[in-house]
Amino acid sequence: MEQVNKAVQVRNISFGYNGQLILDDVNAEIEAGKLTFILGRNGSGKSTLLKILGGLLNSQEGVTRIFGKNSAKLNVSERSKLTGFLNQHHNAVFPFSVEDVVLTGRAGFINFIPKESDREASVQAMEKVGILHLRNRNYTDLSGGEQQMVMIARLLAQNPKILLLDEPTTYLDFSNQSHLLNLLKQLVKEGLTIVAVMHDPNLAFIFGDDFLFMKDKKVLRSGKSLKAWDTEFLKTIYHGKLETIPYKGRVLLVPFLN
Amino acid sequence: MNNRNISILLYSLPIPVILVSLFIGPSQYATPGAILNMFFNIADNPGIVKSIVVDVRLPRVLLTFFVGGSLAISGCSIQGIFRNPLTDSYILGLSSGAAFGAALALAYAFLPVQLSAFIFGLAAVGLSYFMARKNRNVSIVSLILSGIIVSGIFTALLTMVQFFSDPFKLQSIVHWTMGNLHNASWGKLQSSIIPMSAGVAVLIIYRWRLNVLALGDDEARTVGINPGKDKIIILFAATLASSSAVAVAGIIGLYGLIVPHMVRMIIGPDNRQSIPLNFLFGGMFLLIIDNFSRTLSGFELPIGVFTMLLGAPFFIFLMKKTNIGWNR
Amino acid sequence: MGYRTKAFLYFLILIVIITSFGCSTTGDKPFDAFAISVTDFRGKEISLAKPATRIVCLIESGLSGLYMLQAENQVIAVPSAVYDEGLFSRYAALDDRIKNKQLPAPGNWDFVSIENIVALQPDLVIIWSSQTESIQSIEAHGIPVYGVFLESFSDVYKEIEDLGKLTGKSQRADSIIAYTKSEIISFKKQQKSSNEKKKSVYFMWSQGLLSTAGTTSTVNELIELAGAINSCTFSQEHVTINKERLLDWNPDVMVMWHNPSLKPGDIIALPELKQVSAIQNKQVFELSSVFMYDLWTLKFPNSVKTIAKWCYPDTFADLDLKEEQHKMLIELYGKRGGRLMDEWQE
Repeated sequence: MEQVNKAVQVRNISFGYNGQLILDDVNAEIEAGKLTFILGRNGSGKSTLLKILGGLLNSQEGVTRIFGKNSAKLNVSERSKLTGFLNQHHNAVFPFSVEDVVLTGRAGFINFIPKESDREASVQAMEKVGILHLRNRNYTDLSGGEQQMVMIARLLAQNPKILLLDEPTTYLDFSNQSHLLNLLKQLVKEGLTIVAVMHDPNLAFIFGDDFLFMKDKKVLRSGKSLKAWDTEFLKTIYHGKLETIPYKGRVLLVPFLN
Repeated sequence: MNNRNISILLYSLPIPVILVSLFIGPSQYATPGAILNMFFNIADNPGIVKSIVVDVRLPRVLLTFFVGGSLAISGCSIQGIFRNPLTDSYILGLSSGAAFGAALALAYAFLPVQLSAFIFGLAAVGLSYFMARKNRNVSIVSLILSGIIVSGIFTALLTMVQFFSDPFKLQSIVHWTMGNLHNASWGKLQSSIIPMSAGVAVLIIYRWRLNVLALGDDEARTVGINPGKDKIIILFAATLASSSAVAVAGIIGLYGLIVPHMVRMIIGPDNRQSIPLNFLFGGMFLLIIDNFSRTLSGFELPIGVFTMLLGAPFFIFLMKKTNIGWNR
Repeated sequence: MGYRTKAFLYFLILIVIITSFGCSTTGDKPFDAFAISVTDFRGKEISLAKPATRIVCLIESGLSGLYMLQAENQVIAVPSAVYDEGLFSRYAALDDRIKNKQLPAPGNWDFVSIENIVALQPDLVIIWSSQTESIQSIEAHGIPVYGVFLESFSDVYKEIEDLGKLTGKSQRADSIIAYTKSEIISFKKQQKSSNEKKKSVYFMWSQGLLSTAGTTSTVNELIELAGAINSCTFSQEHVTINKERLLDWNPDVMVMWHNPSLKPGDIIALPELKQVSAIQNKQVFELSSVFMYDLWTLKFPNSVKTIAKWCYPDTFADLDLKEEQHKMLIELYGKRGGRLMDEWQE
């Protein structure tokens, strides 16, 4: 079947809020085992689409399939085995330790109280992300970048098939950005599917396998990475003057200097 | 001292504290010596000593412990699900609902005071909840807002009852709202311990879920927890426990707010540890306060007043001494 | 579930089971040979095999009743209000045990210490019948409770009669009730002879100027006995009114209950009331002592006479209130009653 290697299929979905349409008849497919970036300007509906994929919002029309299963019919527990979601903002009120925060990722496997195996899984997740040394620190005392890494460890502890990340590099400094994106690439190699919304097209172009471009409530052209390097196409997406520079068979975008 | 040792200490303290409390009281018959003599059957007046220890002090000590524990554990849970360290069940209108219920029963004697306080306390929280509910969703801000509104309504109704009451009933109503553990009896304990225990048991079982819920609704839903359902269960259990406590003991102001902070300062915010310790510490602390209030003066001081006078300075002391992470 | 969760749940279940077995060890005494039986203000029957000799009285008016019945030696504990300033000197004059602070006070009518009461091993507790929770706790220990609720002067008679039976002082009860009734009757005779127009009285509780008593109150009965009319026509016990209403009523006389913060002069000085005839004629008076003008004991004729004299000074010109009071105190409290008078005059 065709669906087998499709992690996500979106058919004709529309979503509105307070009478304002945010997604209008969107179609898209995301392949399994790849690092896919959703790109576009602010307000183009990127985060909304990602939230619909993660089941945090339900589209008013259309069908979203996750590994062939109708997303609307999944319960929270089934869904947590399929998709994990990293919010753009998160604020913990209570000063939990890093380890306690990561452990909450295991909730889908835990009836009421975590077992030793859950603790081991979260230790492994922290190790993988490289934050094991922070395990006893207060989450609220960490920098924004460290908090982001903790939340990614929490996602890994959850162990879903698809990671959905909303602006994962926002709070990270330069070296942490490349550390994170290399980690994502590594995870994809190990078989995970990752979908991330990105502001910065250059980081996406350097690390991504596949791209969805959003403009005016729609996905303009889904997938097929090779066509993405078309300068004229990128100008319509980012709606402005820009230049492209070739880089390792791909391109980098630079803003046009007046 | 590390967390583990503190934890062991707090788990082992309640039994001795309860035992010591049985030896404390104003009576000149049931002195510690007389009580020990009773155990060796050499007391001068065994009947009266036994009656005081078994029928007066024991139910009061157990009731005080459960009331303190229920208020603290409910406060901690409600702070967890609302992700707001400034709330407790009183914010949702519990105390004003219960006070109105008690006043109504004291003034017009249509229901037992305790039952009426319980029903109206529960009704007030339920009303807050349903007023805040919109599109099958309950936001924290609207819940706290509607709680304040419901509190206002019940406070107005309470004032109305007080307004039409003669001075004696008025004084009874005012005294009820100050907290009153001095009427403790086996009967009172029996009528309240099952709802208190049931609420506490649910909160103990759900305690780790509070860690998940404390990170936010989206964060809980994506890892496989239905935040709406869990919040209703926890809110109901917390309300059940605290409204039974309020119904039986009157209003013990801010207790459910202060104790969870104290426990967090001692053991940290992880609800796996702090929820059971809130019950134990909350029970012990109220018991110790009540021991003072029973012995410092010849007559009974209202526990609610005493709690504020002793608890508030201790809380401020702890807040200044420890870093609890509210600096951001 | 973790071991800690289980341990906790077992602990809760254990306590619940213990509690369900816990009950008062002293049950009801067998029902036979009750020589004394009265029905209190709750409608509950109180039965005693012999007159009570260890009485814990938690209400001051009831205590006064017991002293009037000459049953003070049967009292083993008093309300703590007795040791408050104002009442202490009176009771110290009546009883050396109070003067030397030997009688324990296990609480006032509210906030009682159940433990202290049980330890005193009383055979009767007297408390307001509205204190249902305290009554329940005390009765759970097998101690009989006489619940009092006074809404009229006839309730005061009933209380004295019942307390007389319970203390074995029925004769004394009959005699002081007869004395009080005869005082009222002879006062009424004196009153009937006058043709003065009835004056209206505004009564002011100590909560403030606008806190008054309606037509269903004991105060209303007091004003009517004094031959005057209550300004307040609301059929409630306790009413808070507004100032306009007070101006409408325009009372001839204002009577204040004992008030520690306001004196008649303060009321007369209120500019917004200057249209009220009681203010214009400076007819504002204070029942200055809670003890002497007590409405909830047989001392109430004193208040009746005092208010009558304030309202109709001409009719009662010959009535010497001091002398009347002295006579009443001796009659009610016996020889030591005279000392109350002296204390009061100081």
